[in-house]
Amino acid sequence: MGHLDYATAKKVVFKGLIILGVVTLAEVFVALFGNGHIIPGFYVHKLIFYPVMIALSLYKAYFIVYEFMHMRYEVKGLAMSVLLPTLLLVWAIIAFFQEGASWGHRREVVRQRNMEPVEEVQKAGDTGMLDERTYQFQ
Amino acid sequence: MATAAKQTTAPVQHDEDLLIQEYGYDDHFHEHHEGDKYQSNFISTYIFSQDHKMIARQFLITGIFWAIIGGLMSLVFRLQLGFPEESLAWLKPFLGKWITVNAETGMGTLAPEFYYALVTMHGTIIVFFVLTAGLSGTFSNLLIPLQVGARDMASPFLNMLSYWFFFLAGAVMFFSLFLSTGPFAGGWTAYPPLSALPQASSGSAGGMTLWLLSLTFFVISVLLGGINYITTVLNLRTKGMNMWRLPLTIWAFFVTAILALLSFPVLVSGFFLLIFDRTLGTSFFLNEIFVGGQALDHVGGSPILFQHLFWFLGHPEVYIIILPAMGIVSEVLSVSARKPIFGYKAMVFSILAIGFLSFIVWAHHMFMSGVNPFISNFFVVFTLIIAVPSAVKVFNWITTIYGGNMRYTSAALFAVGFVSMFISGGLTGIFLGNSAIDIQMHDTYFVVAHFHIVMGVAAFFGMFAGVYHWYPKMFGRFMNETMGKIHFWGTLIGAYAIFWPMHYLGMAGVPRRYYRFDNFDTFSHFSAMNQFITIAAILVFACQLVFVINFFRSIWVGKKLTEKNPYGANTLEWTTPIEVPHGNWPGKIPAVHRWAYDYGKGGQDHISQIVPLAEGEGDSGH
Amino acid sequence: MATDTALDHHSDVQDGNLWEGAKEPFKASYGKLMMWYFLLSDAFTFAGFLISYGALRFSVPTWPVPDFVFKTAPFGVDEAPLIFVTIMTFVLIVSSVTMVRAVQEGHRENKGGAAFWLLLTIVGGASFLGCQAWEWNNLIGTEGMTVTINPFSSHTEAGVYLSGEELEKAGLQKVEADAHGTTATYYLQPGKQDIPQNRFFVKADHHGHSLAGTEFAIGGHYLITKNHDTHLYEFGAYKSEEDGQIRTEKFGPKAFGALFFFITGFHGFHVFSGVMFLTIIAVNVASGLYVKRRNGYEMVEKMGLYWHFVDLVWVFVFLVFYLL
Repeated sequence: MGHLDYATAKKVVFKGLIILGVVTLAEVFVALFGNGHIIPGFYVHKLIFYPVMIALSLYKAYFIVYEFMHMRYEVKGLAMSVLLPTLLLVWAIIAFFQEGASWGHRREVVRQRNMEPVEEVQKAGDTGMLDERTYQFQ
Repeated sequence: MATAAKQTTAPVQHDEDLLIQEYGYDDHFHEHHEGDKYQSNFISTYIFSQDHKMIARQFLITGIFWAIIGGLMSLVFRLQLGFPEESLAWLKPFLGKWITVNAETGMGTLAPEFYYALVTMHGTIIVFFVLTAGLSGTFSNLLIPLQVGARDMASPFLNMLSYWFFFLAGAVMFFSLFLSTGPFAGGWTAYPPLSALPQASSGSAGGMTLWLLSLTFFVISVLLGGINYITTVLNLRTKGMNMWRLPLTIWAFFVTAILALLSFPVLVSGFFLLIFDRTLGTSFFLNEIFVGGQALDHVGGSPILFQHLFWFLGHPEVYIIILPAMGIVSEVLSVSARKPIFGYKAMVFSILAIGFLSFIVWAHHMFMSGVNPFISNFFVVFTLIIAVPSAVKVFNWITTIYGGNMRYTSAALFAVGFVSMFISGGLTGIFLGNSAIDIQMHDTYFVVAHFHIVMGVAAFFGMFAGVYHWYPKMFGRFMNETMGKIHFWGTLIGAYAIFWPMHYLGMAGVPRRYYRFDNFDTFSHFSAMNQFITIAAILVFACQLVFVINFFRSIWVGKKLTEKNPYGANTLEWTTPIEVPHGNWPGKIPAVHRWAYDYGKGGQDHISQIVPLAEGEGDSGH
Repeated sequence: MATDTALDHHSDVQDGNLWEGAKEPFKASYGKLMMWYFLLSDAFTFAGFLISYGALRFSVPTWPVPDFVFKTAPFGVDEAPLIFVTIMTFVLIVSSVTMVRAVQEGHRENKGGAAFWLLLTIVGGASFLGCQAWEWNNLIGTEGMTVTINPFSSHTEAGVYLSGEELEKAGLQKVEADAHGTTATYYLQPGKQDIPQNRFFVKADHHGHSLAGTEFAIGGHYLITKNHDTHLYEFGAYKSEEDGQIRTEKFGPKAFGALFFFITGFHGFHVFSGVMFLTIIAVNVASGLYVKRRNGYEMVEKMGLYWHFVDLVWVFVFLVFYLL
């Protein structure tokens, strides 16, 4: 603060309102367009329009922090001391999401294995117990 | 300037006052604080005090209280492990219904579910209440304002709240000990489903609810404290105290506070999800589960998710415990060896490196609990990297002592003991960090031995070093040195006697958290070893009683502090009056001209931080 | 290593003497710093929630489609995907803008201006809470979504919804049973007892209009509607295109409902406490308390940081729940 005079600062604020509004509208438009609501029957693959929405959201976050929360006008060290720790979350995101996908994958494996037909392995007279000698070898 | 430097050879005490007057930094504190409202009556002086030194003493004494409780709990379950055939009927008056006495034989048995409750409470209490609040809470509060040259914390009010939230957390936890269903009994890590299903075990009902409530208060306390410590170190350093002139204690407390600030909130998010699972029937951490043959309505969650959230806190928490001890030890070793700390900058960078790495290694606690082996590879690599900054610190401590003119006070002994413990426990950490070896070692007594040595005993040693060293600053008297030395040798030898054999138990595959081993053929021949460990534990606890007696006795009858700077230390806390007033310095705040480790420089024993640099003299810190 | 906070402080050591002590190295008062670091820790709380959301979402094969779940708006608007939540987002953005204005007026020591813009911010925050209340009410009351039940899901195979006659023709028996005092009609497989898995219903939307004959493809989304007379969920019966079998729809992943109510609720709690604090500060401003302090209404500025943070969190909540 104090880096801009009052009139300019006021203008920046209302410019910010317009920017955030337009970006939000753009996000919603992309979401609806990608999901086939704008042109009926026309879908976009998730891998194409999801990153667009994520990028737009990150821009909004950047704008809120840098303009509305005045991070742009703070000393660089303050900005870094607040923003850099959030990078620790990058590895957390990678690890947690990989884990989530892994749980889903393993559940699917279990489900498919459960559907496999059970093979008849017992011979006649077999009690299903291991042979007594098996224990003795240990 | 040159004259001021010469004056340091003259009697020290008078000089420092002059130096403060001449070069000090006037913040007009006393003009604003006439008729101090903070210490006007008993309640505002001793109970709802906003003075950081009083809050530090409150943290310390509360910590000692909890350490005694936690220690006694460990004795009870050690008795059970060492002497499963002996009667515990004599504990009936204390433990009530948790001891069942056989009417015919008079044999008293500990209830198995209470054994688990004891193990759980021992872990929770020692990790959070003693080694987090009691260690970092005490010394951050005491030393940050004194060593950076501040009148008090940035926000004394929030600082007071921090203690009282800790007190509240303790009160709730204490209350949970007396529930008819017992305190929480699912391990201090509170893994679901034992923590998520109130019907899972007796401790999972009301005990777990209070456990969650208590630790939520505790996190509030830690955050209030942490935000305060960080801002104080950043904003309230005295004139001339740049970051490279901070004593290593402050660097350690600073990074500790950052770790707490970033990791405890994630634990809270895990707690909130857990509370939902417990009360509203959601399935964040629960998937297709049967209790008593009855299928529950939960589906789709994962208990591993909680483990991830928990250890995202849990691993930084390990460093929240050990970093303050490292800082204290660095300072105490340097003062006791009359030598500058070796590799000051390397020490700072290794603290920072450890702090950073602590956030990317959490899943090494979970190699065996179902984490995808692919992601485990990364966690192994990151984990092993921690050995590098840890080794840097160890080498620097050793080289600091090397060739030093060592004064073996109790504090110095404990600091050296810390290094010994940290090496022993740290080396076993390298074993456990490998996921392949962890398959064998996981959840055995090897793990118990590792973390007890490296973050339990080592952190306690750091704490003891700090208490013996700064006791005169806290209470104006010294603790008894003879008792201190008995305490040290008993604890050092005893702690190794407890935990060294546990490595062998662990390598033989003896699992932790078992109620008794004598009915397992594989483990029954370890009963003598278990008895030995139990006896050692009792002796070590007795040594701690020596400390407690020494501590409280010395408040009233200890040798009085007669000079401002009894150890010939350089840091700012020793420039304050013997009776430190509210605001710490009666007049101006001293200005700082050099780093904190000018020992033996230019033929002088020590040069305080407030002594201006002589002409042409360089500051060794830069 | 460069990601560690404390390290970066040293980059400033060279440019000036800010770090030499007895100064505020960040040129910010301790109060403002404390607010920043509190917000940082709060961001990690939200990150914990959102990352858990991501992990759980990655672990299930299907996830409700947001533009189908959030397509209703007040006043009977029914087929307007994401429109209501866009309005909610606007309300929050506008309240953020009015907050910036309040901070600016505070810097000019303009008591009236600061109070006026704070009041507008309070109105914005309260409106947002009102919108959220309506949204929750709609999801719980009308759609039947709760923390344990998620009626939204998507098909794993293509098929067509069947009418009552078709079900009877396929050999299912029509049963009328008493449920909560009213008569429920459902279809039961011959020889099966009335257990939830064996109930078949004619698919209807939540206005009660029959959807029999509607065809759908793999991935097509649906809502299991709750019959308000019987308080039973009606699992629509459909004929699979693949093997011609008659099946019923399944509930969506439970985690969706729980996470939605929990995370938007936690955000809403932040908005609520923000409105409370804003009210207190607005009263303080109006009473002239901050005039005496002569620090450019720093309390308003700190409150502003908190309020923008609430907006910031919403950006990510909006992204993960409504857009992705």
